[in-house]
Amino acid sequence: MPLEVQGTFVSQKINKIRWIPEEYEETKCFFTGSWDDEFNSIKVWTLESPHEDEEIEYPRALSELPVDGDVTEIKFTEKNKIVVSTSNGDVRLLEISAYEMQTPLREIYSWKKLHNFGIDPCSCTSLDTIDGDIVTIGEDGNINILNGRRGEITRTINGADSCSLHSVCFFKHSEIITGNVRGHMKIWDLRINNNKPAASFLLAGDEMAATCILNHPTQPHIVLAGSESGSLAIWDLRVNSFPTSLLNAHAAGVTEMHFHPENPQKLLTCSVSGEIWDWNMEAMTKSSKGPDNQITTWMPLEDKNAMMVNSLMPTLHKPINTLHCDKGKIICGADNEAVYLIKNFKY
Amino acid sequence: MNISNLGSNSSRSGISESQKNVKTFILPEKCFERYAACTWRRGNKFSIYPRSQKTSSSPSNIDNKILDVRQEVLLFIPILRKLVNESNGTYLSLQKAAEAAKTSDNHVEFLKLSRQYRSIIRVCIEGLQEAASKETNGIEKNSLLSYITIFYSIECIWHLCEILYIDNIPGDIVLPYLLEWVRFHFPCHEQTAAQLLEACERGSEDHPEYWDTVVGMVVQGRVDVARALLKLHSLTDSNEFKLLDNSLRSMPVYSVYGGISTGEFTVSWKHWQAECRSKLGSRVLASQPKLELIMKLIIGDYSAFESIREKYTSWFDLLGGWVMFTAPWSRRHALGAAAAACAGMRPAAGRTPLDAMARALMDGDLHQVIHEIQQISDNGWFATHLTDILYHCGKLEIMDKHQTNVTSRLRDSLILEYGCLLMEHPSLWPVGLSYLASCPPEGLRRAELVLERIPVQTEAKAMRVVAEAKKYGLLGVVQSVCTCMGARHLSSGRVGSALAWAVRARNSALCARAADSALRAYCASGVLPAVDFLLTAGSAMLLCDTLLFLGKYCDFHRMYKNREFKKAAKLLVSLLTSKIAPDYFWETLLLDTLPLLESDEPVFSSDDTFEIMLCLELKPLSLTQEKADLLRLALTRNLARTSLSDVDSGGE
Repeated sequence: MPLEVQGTFVSQKINKIRWIPEEYEETKCFFTGSWDDEFNSIKVWTLESPHEDEEIEYPRALSELPVDGDVTEIKFTEKNKIVVSTSNGDVRLLEISAYEMQTPLREIYSWKKLHNFGIDPCSCTSLDTIDGDIVTIGEDGNINILNGRRGEITRTINGADSCSLHSVCFFKHSEIITGNVRGHMKIWDLRINNNKPAASFLLAGDEMAATCILNHPTQPHIVLAGSESGSLAIWDLRVNSFPTSLLNAHAAGVTEMHFHPENPQKLLTCSVSGEIWDWNMEAMTKSSKGPDNQITTWMPLEDKNAMMVNSLMPTLHKPINTLHCDKGKIICGADNEAVYLIKNFKY
Repeated sequence: MNISNLGSNSSRSGISESQKNVKTFILPEKCFERYAACTWRRGNKFSIYPRSQKTSSSPSNIDNKILDVRQEVLLFIPILRKLVNESNGTYLSLQKAAEAAKTSDNHVEFLKLSRQYRSIIRVCIEGLQEAASKETNGIEKNSLLSYITIFYSIECIWHLCEILYIDNIPGDIVLPYLLEWVRFHFPCHEQTAAQLLEACERGSEDHPEYWDTVVGMVVQGRVDVARALLKLHSLTDSNEFKLLDNSLRSMPVYSVYGGISTGEFTVSWKHWQAECRSKLGSRVLASQPKLELIMKLIIGDYSAFESIREKYTSWFDLLGGWVMFTAPWSRRHALGAAAAACAGMRPAAGRTPLDAMARALMDGDLHQVIHEIQQISDNGWFATHLTDILYHCGKLEIMDKHQTNVTSRLRDSLILEYGCLLMEHPSLWPVGLSYLASCPPEGLRRAELVLERIPVQTEAKAMRVVAEAKKYGLLGVVQSVCTCMGARHLSSGRVGSALAWAVRARNSALCARAADSALRAYCASGVLPAVDFLLTAGSAMLLCDTLLFLGKYCDFHRMYKNREFKKAAKLLVSLLTSKIAPDYFWETLLLDTLPLLESDEPVFSSDDTFEIMLCLELKPLSLTQEKADLLRLALTRNLARTSLSDVDSGGE
């Protein structure tokens, strides 16, 4: 079946969008978080057909939770728990009822002004989760490790970066990687208490921010980062600190990327230039012997023609801020105050 | 507040009109009773504040207040924001299509986009209807209903406009399209007709609306339906009915592709009408007044149309029939007369804005049309988008009183105003920006002014503003936003972030200030801030001398920590001799030589030592006497060591 794209205007610029996972049936509900408006909120939506006999499903809002500031990230800690960061520096852990989606989200823990410039507000720019542990970063350059089960701050790395941090990723249980406004990436080993990065390197020499970081689901030493300039860098952390490949991808900043949960050969990216792409990474992961006779499964990109990139949607006139995929269904949220549902995606 | 900047508007109407547009508000607060002043804020906003010329010595005990006054914008309600965003997409596609149309005819594309606009309006009306049906508050509901009316008439006029100016009608014969328009927007009796036909019972004339429905179908040009309905009359086999049915059946229908010329068609049409007229004259239908009425209608008898006008709410319902039965070969320009005739059928009926717009459209006076649609309270959405599409279709030609073509100026002024309106909204600013950017050069100048004033709370927003500005080549905005961010970080003492943004802004003055504050911070605390930035800054350090100095100094620290003393010493000497160090930093620099001078192995060559001595003597005020003596001693001892075996200055 061909790809089917369907847009719905929601009167909010969407900064984050996430499917709510279902165990035994097709996913129908999703979260959105808005940004850059007078009043922002986290909404829960469901897809439903307005008339029973129709095939087309439209999103309908089930509940709304107003937040102060922009929603900067939404991630799951468990199936029905999300952790949300906002631009006023707050981090909240919220729970959605598994059976009654329309009941308002319940706040389990909240960390007010977790990131701050003293009394001045400071944006909590991103967060990542791994098994109930949460790492948050902010414009203050601090890193906080939170325990989502007990609701406490396990550790704070003050002044982890002298510039503002913009992206973070847990690539192992005890190791995180952060990227700042200049594309300066640092690896932190949380077992070591000296507040010094274990390694650091630059995304590219162009002083552009690292907007998102992602690690490969099956090969955790492979790390990808998207840049504000639209390029995509790939590192093999076992080899060296220079990107294995730096691809000039989108015309403007990469906003979010995900590997398809069912097929790690598929990478999905979206950008400020209004593009949403699907990459076939197969060509890049052919097994081969590296120069030092080590088996690398991640090939440097000599033959760039081997990249298979598809555009999933005609280019929008406004930035696409976020995407999320679940099997053959991809949703994305954009600055034209619309969410798009892409169906029949082959993975 | 209606601030229209269409020049002809005021010039045409003179003073009386402008006086009519003035509204007076009474300021509600006590503090404004004596004096008030006002000042513009960003966008269409101003503030009123109490202000007196005299400074009173005793503090007044009135609570002073500042009032922010802004225009209430209909388009900013959530339902209509969907319209704003969706139509923006179509608008931008239209601009692309127009660009392409410069080289090739892109007519079909324009028609497609015009339909897209209309479907957007339809969706919006649906949304409003849904909201209105759910709304329980009476006032809210009323306003929703009035929005529905507004957008209904917008869609109606847009459709007519599309038929008359955007579509390429074959042979310019508008009748079929006109009938379609009437049926679509003024459906009347349709349901009754469908019911009757479905029931299919002889003797349907008992239905109270039977005759109205038959006449309605005739007037809408649905002759087949009318005939089918007549067959349901119990007397349908009588001669009168057969006679009328025959006339209706034999009516010639013009089709451009029918293979006959207009002339030929006119002859056969006139012949047919003469026949009908003679049947009427022979008074065979006298026993059936309703059939006589229908016969009169199909020969285009004015009084017959006049007699049924009362049954309809507007003259639009009759327009299709009137054209069909008086001059079915009518071209676009002949519609004005037809519209005038129909509108005149009941002179007592008041003139609604919709009437005025439709009349102006059919008269072909697009200037008047735009003037009329600007009166609609949709914040200029309709006027802007319609004018733009008409302009790109090449159908708009507007002359001012000096007969110069002002079409593009009119289009630009509408778009600029609409764009500026949207720029005021905290969330819709990129939409507004895309409108402004489509009218260069003035749009971009305006965009520049507004963008610089957009409140930026977070770096994410700053980066987005910068990205938008870059997209349109507004490098001045990029610089000023980055400088602003940098300055803000600097004033809060965050040197790293300040430097990062200063480098983005390529602003050497800000770099120098940030670097300076870093150096001073080091002098005060002994900890060098933003080391991670400085060690990776690369070519960015060349932006200004102070930053370069700071970077090199940081490098010196790194080498020293790594125990690369010789390299560190070389760097330190070059920093001393380069003379770019700020005065307050000389003390630190000179004292930094001390541990190196005292190291087990000499690291400064005798030449280097002389250089340091020279620097020390040139800047006698930078060190206290005690420290200077200490340094002199160390220098002399180093000189003594190196005079025996000099440090290999070339050795790396």
